[in-house]
Amino acid sequence: MKKTKQIFVGLGAIVVATAIFIAADHIDAPSSMGTTADIADFFAFEPTEGSDNTVFVVDLQSDVLPDLAYGTFDEDVLTEINIDTDDDLVEDLVIQAIPRDGRMYFFGPATPSQTGLSSQVLTDMPLGDVEISANTAITETTDNGVSLFAGPRQDPFFFDFFQFNAVIDPDVNSAPSGFLPPDEAEDTFDGANTLSIVVELPNSLLGTTTATNALGVTVYNTWVTTNRKQ
Amino acid sequence: MIFNKIKQLFLTMVVVVAIAACNNDDNEPMMDDDMMGMEDDGMMDDDMTGMDPDFSGTFAQVDFMGRPGINTTLSAGGDIKDAHNVAIPSEMVATFQADFEARLEQYHDVYAMKLGADPADVNYEANILGLDAATLTTVLAADVLEVAPDVPTTYFNPGEDNDGDDNPLTLDGDEVALTGRTLQDDIIDVSLILFFGGMEGNRFDGNNGTPQLTSDGVGLTADILTTFPYVGDPE
Repeated sequence: MKKTKQIFVGLGAIVVATAIFIAADHIDAPSSMGTTADIADFFAFEPTEGSDNTVFVVDLQSDVLPDLAYGTFDEDVLTEINIDTDDDLVEDLVIQAIPRDGRMYFFGPATPSQTGLSSQVLTDMPLGDVEISANTAITETTDNGVSLFAGPRQDPFFFDFFQFNAVIDPDVNSAPSGFLPPDEAEDTFDGANTLSIVVELPNSLLGTTTATNALGVTVYNTWVTTNRKQ
Repeated sequence: MIFNKIKQLFLTMVVVVAIAACNNDDNEPMMDDDMMGMEDDGMMDDDMTGMDPDFSGTFAQVDFMGRPGINTTLSAGGDIKDAHNVAIPSEMVATFQADFEARLEQYHDVYAMKLGADPADVNYEANILGLDAATLTTVLAADVLEVAPDVPTTYFNPGEDNDGDDNPLTLDGDEVALTGRTLQDDIIDVSLILFFGGMEGNRFDGNNGTPQLTSDGVGLTADILTTFPYVGDPE
């Protein structure tokens, strides 16, 4: 793929008439949806303008609909934040998170033992660990300036999912005007919760990157995976 | 959220979810006997030889996410969605771009019927970034979320209306895009604009007899914190 074409991103919304789904990644596929390994969402951002830190937020599971797995991190599920620093779309670094006995243990950022679909925990590269919170956030800050959190949080995703389904309904009489005006639209995720894993770390721990986005801005290419113990 | 309302509106989803839940019995959290008696000191302690948690084993990828909404919107069926979740980014363009492009056109066919038009007459048009369907889906198929270490984060910020055309969405030199995703970024509206907005970003914006397809009308409702961990307590 040409770098100059890497300009944008993002489709959030449309789907074929018969498929029901919830963006951003909530409940996105038959094999993962509703399980303890279901990724709900992923954010990566600078915490404040000019900061030398980067924040990663990974949301797992959701209570936006009934009967979904929600509320407990699965000890058989390894969450991995993948970071590509040379633009080949292969992870050069990973940050791992896995729960044990009420705590979330973090490893990396470090070169994975192997790239691709199979992972092992980088036990010789511990980053730190934090008690899994209940309703009140318990955070941990390590000596090297890394902040860690794991526990339930409000789901910050916002989307009028009900109206969206009306829009994509093939019935010609369904939502002929499309989405609703702001005073009538409703955020389906208002009131929903998710299990968040949040890591804030100095960019120095991620090192330099030669990857650039379509506008020529230096970036890390990132993605998140969940991985189940075999 | 009221269960009956959801059940009524989304019976299909509920049924599928119920099936998924029924198949989930082997996914219950496991307690590790090795953890018994572990000291709760806030950090792993290498001195506690033999009492550290057991992290052994091999873990296989089961779910994947880069940019928001890519798999859920552009993968046409359950098989493709499942395949996307066990794919790796370096192979995604070759594997998924053609399916994504077909899907993009399919959405327009569905909506053409709503407009009482011939599906052949309502097609995707190049968006505000000038990307045609093939190019857009190529970009999106490489499903990674860029984050810039040295530039303010935004999924897309059109900036000011520097060219004075009364439309800040048209490119005029001060756009910032692809530098990450904040908790506040309205990725749905950005995505809708890229999908249905056409070159001016307003092709289907509810005006001039068109349906509103470029904004879902909602904004952030969750509590966002100024300090770590940035997202509010559960409700």
